[in-house]
Amino acid sequence: MKNALSTPILRGSLDALPLFIPAIPFAFVFGVVVANAGIPSWLGWSSSPIIFGGAIQVTLFTLLGEGASVAAAVSAALIVGARHLFYSLTLAPRFQDQPAWFRWVGSYVLIDQVFVLSQINRIEEPGIFRRYYLAAGFTFWALWMTFTALGILLGPAIPASWGFEFAAPVLFVSLMMAASDRGDKLIAAAAAMGVALTFSHLPHRAAILVAVAISVSLMLLIRRRPA
Amino acid sequence: MTTAIILTGLGTYAMRAFFIFALARYSFPPIMLRALEYVAPAVMGALVISMMTNTKGELTAGWAESLGLLGAAVVAKWTGNHIFALLSGMGTFWIIRWLI
Repeated sequence: MKNALSTPILRGSLDALPLFIPAIPFAFVFGVVVANAGIPSWLGWSSSPIIFGGAIQVTLFTLLGEGASVAAAVSAALIVGARHLFYSLTLAPRFQDQPAWFRWVGSYVLIDQVFVLSQINRIEEPGIFRRYYLAAGFTFWALWMTFTALGILLGPAIPASWGFEFAAPVLFVSLMMAASDRGDKLIAAAAAMGVALTFSHLPHRAAILVAVAISVSLMLLIRRRPA
Repeated sequence: MTTAIILTGLGTYAMRAFFIFALARYSFPPIMLRALEYVAPAVMGALVISMMTNTKGELTAGWAESLGLLGAAVVAKWTGNHIFALLSGMGTFWIIRWLI
């Protein structure tokens, strides 16, 4: 059992499971958004494998449901998802010693939680990193496919008054603490929170992009000398 | 509708793949590698704030939410366990909401 648990594939899957918990109420919110947008269930669900990004999918269908043009809805959804450019940049060095197929497949499952897992568990050996990353990514993928289907079929099965949606910011606070294994990283997180609050009036969560850019630049200025 | 889903899917994939492919042979200078260490904590912090603000940019967190997040942060730092952090965050949130 100890050997089985120490394999990167099993560890990746097990690490992904608790991170998926807040995505369950979100999948039911997604189901309601699809129903309100007045589109066929299967078409709404098809966005799960095609887009594979909860906030992006919800933004797209909310705006289309409100009667926005395709161009407006797609660009808004992509601005919401633009933080993935930061993930791509941050992981680029880790993908350099990987085979080409992994660049194609790994990019597909590069979601918030997979990104942060790859940053918390710094795995140096390329083969182990690859297996861990894919296991975490496709565990998430399989669960998201299943629960968005359930969300569309069952509708609002979890009453909003229970406040289960609050699990998402709670998890991300926990991930923020795990990603801040040094004091300067915690300062970067706090700075980003402050900037995000200052710019929170910007549409489509653009404050996230401004916050990351300013926080990272600020940290570089503070720590110009190598540690 | 189908066009919108496919365009968003292609755009999302392009953003995820962009630097992984564009910088596949780029030799990262040390200062850049150091900068990238701050991306994960910064994005997580910014995401939390974006989840706690409404579309007008107003903070929606009351006592229950703020103390719930604080509780989760303390437990996460202390135990390093996301399930414990989730339980304490949600527990604090529910208890304070029930008390007020």
